[in-house]
Amino acid sequence: MSTHTISKTLATSALTLVLSAMLVGNAQAITPEQAKRIHDRLVGTPPSAACLSQLTPLSANAAAIDAINDTGGSDNCTGTDFYRVTLKNFITPWTNEEQTVFAPLNDYSATLIGIIRDEDDFRKILYDDILYTGPSPSGLANSNAHYKNLEDTGADLQAVLTATTQSAVYPGIAPAGIFSTRAGAKAFFVDGTNRAMFRFTMMNHLCNDLEQVKDTSYAPDRIRQDVSRSPGGDSRIYMNACIGCHNAMDPLTQSFAYYNWIKDVDGNPNTDDGFLEYTNGVVQPKNLINANNFEYGYVTEDDSWINYWRTGSNSALGWDGALTGSGSGASSMGQELAHSEAFARCQVEKVFKAVCLRAPLETADQTQIDAMITTFKGNGYNLKQIFADSAVFCMGS
Amino acid sequence: MKIPSRITTSATRHATAQPWMLPLILLSSLALTACDSVPNEPTVTGGGSGSTAAAYTGEACNAVSTDPNTVEDICNFQTEFWAKMLDASDCENCHNTETGSREPYFLDTAEINTAYGQMISRNLVDRTTPANSAIITKINAEHNCGTPTECAVLATNATNYITNWLNGGVAGAGTGTAVNEVTLTAPAIKETGQSKNFPAGAAPAGFTGVHNLLTQYCADCHTDSASVPQAPFFADADADIAYDAVVTSQKISLDIPQDSRLVARMDEGHNCWDLATGGSGNSSVDQQAILEGRKNCAVEIQLAIEAFAGTIPTTAVPANWVTSKAMTLLDGIVASGGARDDSSTIALYEFKTGSGSTILDTSGVGVPLNLTLYGNEGTDYSWVGGWGIEFHTGSAKAQANTQDSRKLLTSILGSGEYSIEAWVVPANISQGDANDPARIVNYSGGSGERNFTLGQAEYRYAYMNRTSTTDANGEPTFLTDDADEDLQSTQQHVVVTFSLTEGRKVYVNGVDVATTGNADTDPNTTIGNLTGWDPTYAFSMGNEADFSQPWEGKLRLVAIHNRAMTPAQIQQNFDAGVGQKFFVMFSVSDEVGDPNCFLASAITTSNPRGEQCFVYFVGSQFDTYSYLFTDPTFISLNPALSPSGTVIKGMRIGMNGKEPAVGQAFINLDTTLNATDYDATTGKQVLSNVGTILSLEKGAGADEFFLTFEDFGSNQDVRTPAVCGSTMTCTTTAPTPPATQAPRVGLRTFEEIFVSMSEMTGVNPYDSARYPQQKVLKTYYDENAGIVSGIKQALPSTEDVSGFLAAHEMAVAQLAIAYCDELVEDTMLRASYFPGVNFGVGVDAAFPSSTEKNQVVSTLYNKMVGIGGTTLNNMPSEAELQTELVGPDAGVAGHPGNLFDRLYSSCAAAAAADGSCSNASATRTAGVVKAMCTSVLGSAVMMIQ
Repeated sequence: MSTHTISKTLATSALTLVLSAMLVGNAQAITPEQAKRIHDRLVGTPPSAACLSQLTPLSANAAAIDAINDTGGSDNCTGTDFYRVTLKNFITPWTNEEQTVFAPLNDYSATLIGIIRDEDDFRKILYDDILYTGPSPSGLANSNAHYKNLEDTGADLQAVLTATTQSAVYPGIAPAGIFSTRAGAKAFFVDGTNRAMFRFTMMNHLCNDLEQVKDTSYAPDRIRQDVSRSPGGDSRIYMNACIGCHNAMDPLTQSFAYYNWIKDVDGNPNTDDGFLEYTNGVVQPKNLINANNFEYGYVTEDDSWINYWRTGSNSALGWDGALTGSGSGASSMGQELAHSEAFARCQVEKVFKAVCLRAPLETADQTQIDAMITTFKGNGYNLKQIFADSAVFCMGS
Repeated sequence: MKIPSRITTSATRHATAQPWMLPLILLSSLALTACDSVPNEPTVTGGGSGSTAAAYTGEACNAVSTDPNTVEDICNFQTEFWAKMLDASDCENCHNTETGSREPYFLDTAEINTAYGQMISRNLVDRTTPANSAIITKINAEHNCGTPTECAVLATNATNYITNWLNGGVAGAGTGTAVNEVTLTAPAIKETGQSKNFPAGAAPAGFTGVHNLLTQYCADCHTDSASVPQAPFFADADADIAYDAVVTSQKISLDIPQDSRLVARMDEGHNCWDLATGGSGNSSVDQQAILEGRKNCAVEIQLAIEAFAGTIPTTAVPANWVTSKAMTLLDGIVASGGARDDSSTIALYEFKTGSGSTILDTSGVGVPLNLTLYGNEGTDYSWVGGWGIEFHTGSAKAQANTQDSRKLLTSILGSGEYSIEAWVVPANISQGDANDPARIVNYSGGSGERNFTLGQAEYRYAYMNRTSTTDANGEPTFLTDDADEDLQSTQQHVVVTFSLTEGRKVYVNGVDVATTGNADTDPNTTIGNLTGWDPTYAFSMGNEADFSQPWEGKLRLVAIHNRAMTPAQIQQNFDAGVGQKFFVMFSVSDEVGDPNCFLASAITTSNPRGEQCFVYFVGSQFDTYSYLFTDPTFISLNPALSPSGTVIKGMRIGMNGKEPAVGQAFINLDTTLNATDYDATTGKQVLSNVGTILSLEKGAGADEFFLTFEDFGSNQDVRTPAVCGSTMTCTTTAPTPPATQAPRVGLRTFEEIFVSMSEMTGVNPYDSARYPQQKVLKTYYDENAGIVSGIKQALPSTEDVSGFLAAHEMAVAQLAIAYCDELVEDTMLRASYFPGVNFGVGVDAAFPSSTEKNQVVSTLYNKMVGIGGTTLNNMPSEAELQTELVGPDAGVAGHPGNLFDRLYSSCAAAAAADGSCSNASATRTAGVVKAMCTSVLGSAVMMIQ
């Protein structure tokens, strides 16, 4: 546990300070039933007898943190499966196009687990030069074997994950959080036009599919040539539907112009080969395909991007006024997304649902969501804290 | 597309002359006069026989010479002179190595290169003055060409054939190299007018009067329930449906009611309802009709439309907008049509008719090969705005009769090669298949035999062509590569070519599909000839002749060429585009603020201030529902203008007094007219490279466009984008609370079950040293040579309790059995886990009393239910567990259904029956404990979290 950034004591103290004002009453000792449910929901397993005894005297907030932090020594609540099971299965569906939870551990999921474990700024997942690996990593750029082996051997991810940088492991690529992870690239930069990466990021990390942000009034000047303006010969489809997403998606997706997933290097589609290619300064051909679908469309010349959603109806996503709303490359575009209000709300709502096992639809749930968003933003975007808060809220009476 | 210039002279078209500096390959040298002395001349009745030319099977026109100019000349000779003379004359009866022995063999049907060589070597052609050619002189001398009149006709035709040969194509058609130049002149200057627009949505109240007339007089045809429905269905009893039909089909002009299509049709006498009765019954209508000399039905509906229009308010351009002058699309200067290469076109369909059931062949070559449309207009097929025809159903097709269709066969067999060119918009990418493509352009005798077919097989173009090396159905079919997805459900230019030297080729959007993506190759590697073509087949579009293979989509242009088009010609026709285009010029002379934007010498009635500065677009009707605007360019018709720093920002295209909300692609325009970017020679500065489409509202002749600017020179109308919470209200609707409270508990999911069982049993499934067989791990998940097994994915994957299935229960049981098996078989672990249980003896010895049995219950309770002996109110009590597993302390009789007793008695019964079980066995003792362990481990105490 040498990589833990703060000790359980510090965490407990900080948590107590933060939550004391809004969760009055939770400072009292909790019942065994509540302690078990907190442990069930966070770790995924019932607590051991020793762990249950350790949690019961604590306040709910302290118990929640205690359940998922292993401080070694006499700590009976190791929380191993919070990282190895709960977080992994929380994150895994985001790492593949099928959104299956049965996909293997990979650099995308391991990195997010590491960031949560270390209570790091969770916004970094969309832009930072950050990566987590297990012991003695090798061949990461060309294979997922390292991460799959960690999973297959039941490695204690809380203990073994070590922070490093993508630029050190994946030389030559422009690091940009999940966008430049091998698993992310394999899932969403393969074939196509790289728009999948944007759409799935919107779904997974801003909790909005494109349909929910469709607005036909934005300027269509950056919609690429490959988008037919008259699908099936009926331009009404484009004017009423296609344009509403592509008008803002295409200028944001342009930030991925230099990325591409090189697949099937060995010629066998069933093997886990392939790597992320980054052609600095050279637009990948996939951005220029089907140019004759509408030759008067936008031609991608670089990886500059602009966020048209800063005005109009989708300004409701809550963009960071400290950022400019335009730039070059995936990292700055990811930062634009990660700094939005929608990003913070999305993460909190996802955690609530994962811990409370229901969507936050009730009035009290909404109040709790708002409070946790405030906590999330005020506490350095520490998502582990949100897990603990959600478990406390849903621990039952 | 034509390239516009600001040349002040009138528009000119420059046909490029062909250079004829030919290194000739002379094949023989024989005297024309030899023909004169031949006895037994064939009987000539004048003119040509007109018979179908036999298929040419000799060497291709490009097979002998390596000089490109010579090749082009030979090929032009073949298509423009040789093939047409074969059809128009009987000269081939003598001047042909196959049928006669009269030199020169200028109509040799065995080898085109021989014919050409004779023509040149014998100086039969005068390249400077075709009419002075020796062969024309011979015809004028009435040499075996029939009557003097017939000879004169032949001489004229032959002169034209020579002229076309030398010019590289039919006179007046594109030459393949001509670049047409359009002169841009100032249009009539119009201020942005007030306009009336149809209210969106349901029919407005004012529409009632019109609707009443339509339902009263037009419902016999123009409803979908009519016996023969005629679209549009503007006479539907539902006013909203009728209104929508009227609006979308542009049957009413709100601005000029008399121009309404409904009125025009009545004026034309289209089923006028008053003709039968002799009057409308409305004296004022009758009087007006008499006064204006019109049909009173037309007057009646015009008055109703005027009344409707009177209820619609006008839309005026706000005073603060910075606007250009106004234009309609049709006010623009025609921009397209001249740059196509039609030098070898033998049939051309531009679909300009716009209504009716006939598609006209506008090639001007030979007998028009017109097609008849089958099906109902509006439902099975419809004409497309901006030129085109759309096939909607399998009941539609367009077909020519077999006699007319022979025009194709005759001409193509003469050349031995051909091309099918089409601008298509497939309606989907699912129609047709490789074995039976949907027919786009077709020349066949049914679904199983054809001369050629251009078709669709999902994402692929399919090209069937009957040759001497294919079957009668033109198979094997040349399919474009499936993975390349060359066919898209959007407007595409597709050309397929066949020649004796290169076989079949397919070009999509100007590109040979063999050169892009995966290699698309003709599966028929042996190039045959067209000798087997059948003259009894019929030419059709959109379906097989027997309606068996419909194709849905739009055709915007189809051309058949009797030459295999060259890549350059194909690219040229692709670049030329399709449909009618206009240079739409919006005057911005006032906005530029430069006196050179006004020229006194250019003052006309329609341009009273001599305005010279414009922003022009290339505009066209994109499809039935929208306009396309491209190439926005600033132009000054006055060469004296020298812009220096005029800012243009935030340009929008206005329509009918308002700015359409969708399609404004130039909002972000931010440029400056300056010496660097402004081309003083042409007077132009390109403003943007992108184009956009705008929804059509009233029709190309009625929709009035103008431009607005946020900033143009010193004129500003800054628009501040709205932002939620600041300048616009964006309310987010709170989620609706569920009617019933969501469950507060859920299932453990697959991996949580896996690790929870580990926690409850103490078995570490990953410990391969302790459990070398890894029975638990392999029960859960195993992977061997890519084959995955195990119950991992059979366990619940979501927490929703309502999603718990029997399959889940089975998987949980399997995993629980594996864990309990590993636990009980692990002698060290079981000793600590089940203290006091003697696993070395039989059941009777191990459990002599309830004490030992209760000890097992207690262990399971403490490890799995009441953790560490803690009583949890939401878990079963130890007594309840005891009752289920071993019965209450009172003994077996107290609860005969308990697990232990059932296991004991079932084994005893088996022992008595066949000896397959023994309660005296230590193995049975372990089995009983495993069963009790499994029943608790796999129960809801573990599953619910």
